[in-house]
Amino acid sequence: MTAAGRTTGAATTQRGVPQAGLLIGGFVLLAAIAVVSVGVGARSISPVDVVRALLDHQGTDDHVIVRDVRAPRALLAVAVGAALAVAGALIQTLARNPLAEPGVLGVTAGAGFAITLGSGLGFAAGQAGQLGCAVLGSVLAALLVATVGRRSPLRLVLTGVALTAVLTGVALGMRLMLPDVFDVYRFWSVGSLAAREQAPLVWPLTAIVVCLVGALALSRALNALTMGESVAHTLGAEVNRVRAITLVLITVLSGAATAVAGPILFVGLIVPHLVRRIAAGSVPWLVLHSMVLGPILLLVADIGSRVLLPTGEVPVAVVTAFLGGPMLIWAVRRFGEGSL
Amino acid sequence: MSVRTMPLRRSSALAGAVTLALVVTGCGSSSDGGSDKAGDARTRTFAADNGKIKIPANPKRVVATGYAVPVMIEAEAPLVGISSWKRGEPMMSKKDLATYKKLSKVAGEQAAETNYEAIAEAEPDLIVIGVPAPVLGDIDMQRLKSIAPVVAIGPTVPSAWREQSRKQADAAGALKKFDATQKAYEDKAAGLAKKYKNVLPDLKLGHIGAYGEVAKGTFQREFGGSWGTNIAEDVGATYYGKVKKPGPGSRAVSEYPSLEELPDGLAEADAITYSVNADGSVPESVKYVMDSKLWKNLSAVKAKKTFPIRYTEAATYGQAMQTLDAIDESFAPLLKS
Amino acid sequence: MTALVPLVRGRIRVQRRTIILVAVLVALMLGLGLLGLCYGASWSSPGEVFAALSGADPSVVIQDWRLPRVLAALVFGAALGVAGAIFQNLTRNPMGSPDVIGLDAGAYSGALVALTVLSGTSAQLAVGSVAGGLVVAATIYLLSFDKGFSGLRLVVIGIAVNAMVTAVNSWIVLRAELEVAIAAVGWSAGSLNGVGWDDLGIPFTVIGVLLVVLATQAHAMHQASLGDAVASSTGVRLDRLRLLMVLVGVGCTATVTAVTGPIVFVALAAPQIGRRLAGAAGVPLLPAALTGAVLLQGADLIAQMLLAPVALPVGVVSTAIGGCYLIWLLTKEVRRA
Repeated sequence: MTAAGRTTGAATTQRGVPQAGLLIGGFVLLAAIAVVSVGVGARSISPVDVVRALLDHQGTDDHVIVRDVRAPRALLAVAVGAALAVAGALIQTLARNPLAEPGVLGVTAGAGFAITLGSGLGFAAGQAGQLGCAVLGSVLAALLVATVGRRSPLRLVLTGVALTAVLTGVALGMRLMLPDVFDVYRFWSVGSLAAREQAPLVWPLTAIVVCLVGALALSRALNALTMGESVAHTLGAEVNRVRAITLVLITVLSGAATAVAGPILFVGLIVPHLVRRIAAGSVPWLVLHSMVLGPILLLVADIGSRVLLPTGEVPVAVVTAFLGGPMLIWAVRRFGEGSL
Repeated sequence: MSVRTMPLRRSSALAGAVTLALVVTGCGSSSDGGSDKAGDARTRTFAADNGKIKIPANPKRVVATGYAVPVMIEAEAPLVGISSWKRGEPMMSKKDLATYKKLSKVAGEQAAETNYEAIAEAEPDLIVIGVPAPVLGDIDMQRLKSIAPVVAIGPTVPSAWREQSRKQADAAGALKKFDATQKAYEDKAAGLAKKYKNVLPDLKLGHIGAYGEVAKGTFQREFGGSWGTNIAEDVGATYYGKVKKPGPGSRAVSEYPSLEELPDGLAEADAITYSVNADGSVPESVKYVMDSKLWKNLSAVKAKKTFPIRYTEAATYGQAMQTLDAIDESFAPLLKS
Repeated sequence: MTALVPLVRGRIRVQRRTIILVAVLVALMLGLGLLGLCYGASWSSPGEVFAALSGADPSVVIQDWRLPRVLAALVFGAALGVAGAIFQNLTRNPMGSPDVIGLDAGAYSGALVALTVLSGTSAQLAVGSVAGGLVVAATIYLLSFDKGFSGLRLVVIGIAVNAMVTAVNSWIVLRAELEVAIAAVGWSAGSLNGVGWDDLGIPFTVIGVLLVVLATQAHAMHQASLGDAVASSTGVRLDRLRLLMVLVGVGCTATVTAVTGPIVFVALAAPQIGRRLAGAAGVPLLPAALTGAVLLQGADLIAQMLLAPVALPVGVVSTAIGGCYLIWLLTKEVRRA
């Protein structure tokens, strides 16, 4: 009885509220939150000044804050949120494991390790150096994990977890021996969207946009893949190539996001969980909805990180976990853990 | 019985291992772990963080850890073992650094890395632990006490290093040299205060620090009595303002506001000092502030009244002398105008 | 009929392999144990070790310092391995290990509260971490029960709870005073340093009782691992069994954490390594326990030797060794496939 009820429920979602409608609603919400995000902060600035800062920049403190601190931050939240959520959706689909998240490929640990090593050897100075180290580290780590685990989803997850543990452990050991290195790492290791307005962000953001488009283009082929390899084969999808390209996309998306914002990987785990019900088994819709919900979640968390404390900021990764944890538990209890 | 020194002899006779793990001997009840059997048996009672402790009046073999390490080296206490203390290395004088490198290390940077066997082998008659009170939970005090009397004297607020270092040196019976260094510091500070008395007291100062958990998007604002400011205050500098919501310890004298609060926070400052590393390079968290346009909008910055200060983490009089030199070097342009 | 023969043969092969593996692991465990008793600030020959253990030539260092540490590494390693195997069996997912689903984070929260709110004595740390671990486990267990049990749901909810608890932890560290924060970070890297007999009486008893309880349920567990339907048809009461297993797993993890602080990854890696070495289909308990013991004891030895006389936290080394070995095993699987 309950099973029958659920099926009809799912069907209504699919037909009653069209996917496209939900998506447009999501976009509107995203735009509204982005506007709020530019208007809110430790210094209170009137909405009129906010608009003026963007249109008629005078270089006063208020204008500088809006244009050089808050606006880049909101932009970053949108890009990083979309990148992480889509990377999560892709890896969950690929690994057929709802527990998978971009961190599973070892990107976070790889980036952290590279930054530790880089600053130990003295070339992680400045934001550009750190960015380079982080990208290199996450790509190498992901490459290793993907090579070992390419055949079996379970092995992919295990390898990722093991490599993450090794890199984290060795990096921790290095930091204990070289306390100066610890300082650079610590500053990076708390995932946050703040303080990145001075970093060279054009390249990572371009990479993210290109990969998001790529993910959309690839999502149909991935759809065939979820039906099983033999079905995918008969449908004409080249299983191995699709898999390889997907892994590249996941690596670049999560690597770039981690490099610019530090580790905020919980977004990649929960967003696909939350939208899976709406997407109703279609990978293209899963990717699209993730692309909208990821930024929303991260923007809300970032606003929270600015207003929660009377002075100073809460790292956004902390707020994300507080927001996302209950949402994930609710989704799992309400809809089941969700097979893929 | 005290701990025996064991001969360095290797043996690969692992064959008998099978019986080994099955034999669980009871606790050795014979150990009394006594220590004060050294020649000079006079003792005195010493008030430390861990209570009133009976210590030798004239210790001959001292083990020091944490913040006590540089203090003891400077005071020329009779050290036989120290913990590793990398964060103090850049501030040690050449002679002290050589002593530091030569002394055998009996513990790591973290209190949890204390090597009890190595401490026992050093056969100390006094152990001085220079770690904050909450960290004492990481240390097996019972075991340390079985080796020698233990006094814990740890840091509380940033500017309290003066009293703490004195107490540490006192426990080790090394006050003579300590007092000499303190006198030298105070004379030097008084001299500098005189040198700058026409310019410094009139300035309203603010300080950007680099200590502790400076998260992204925030900066450390230090007020009077903090790490970055307490030595400059001895020269006559006055830092204005106070923490919005004071907390315990260092949180009473410094805070971590968002970068957006920079314009309001330092609007009234006539001049700004900021912490830099020992080699003069600007730390990550300070660099972030200085690269921002908001910093360039500050009146003190426009007036070019910004001064880097090295060695702000000084926690001994010897180190603070270097801080004084650094302050003198940095403030020098003030006298020209 | 004939189709059954290779199946039976395969099973016998697995069993023989398991027996050999167990023998090798036990030998390795004893060998490493002896090495641990010999190694220290100065080397003792096995002859001296045996003399000390038999009481012929008592030595405080060997009996009261090294022996408890070695036994702790072996017993705690085994306990962590068992806890991991239990959860991985229960959830049928390698990610279902206690550290992934938040038990370690919960124990850390408890310890943080003891450090920041209370005064942070060893007893408070122990009670706090056990309480924290239990509260988190109960929360996860209750939340994941909804119209029957699902292993995957337990893991997902565990990960969510872990993320939240970790967030709470970083919040506490962030709000804490700096020196307390440093102490808290020190505690978060588990260590066997300074473990003595006083610390071990209760934990060993608790772990012993839990393992005996587990042994009586081993058969039922095996049935359950074959699938719910099989288990029910053979008369296993699944709900009761699950609750019992969870209690044993949580008990083992919380007890170990209370003494040493969180030692992550052993619970995840040991069952997976043991399973691959035994060539078993499920996640067998005995290989997991022995692998855990060997891994932790080996890691603890290396942690002491690597930077001697300064000791690294054992968690750093166990993670590095266990992880590398697991990756190697996985790579071998790829080549075979």
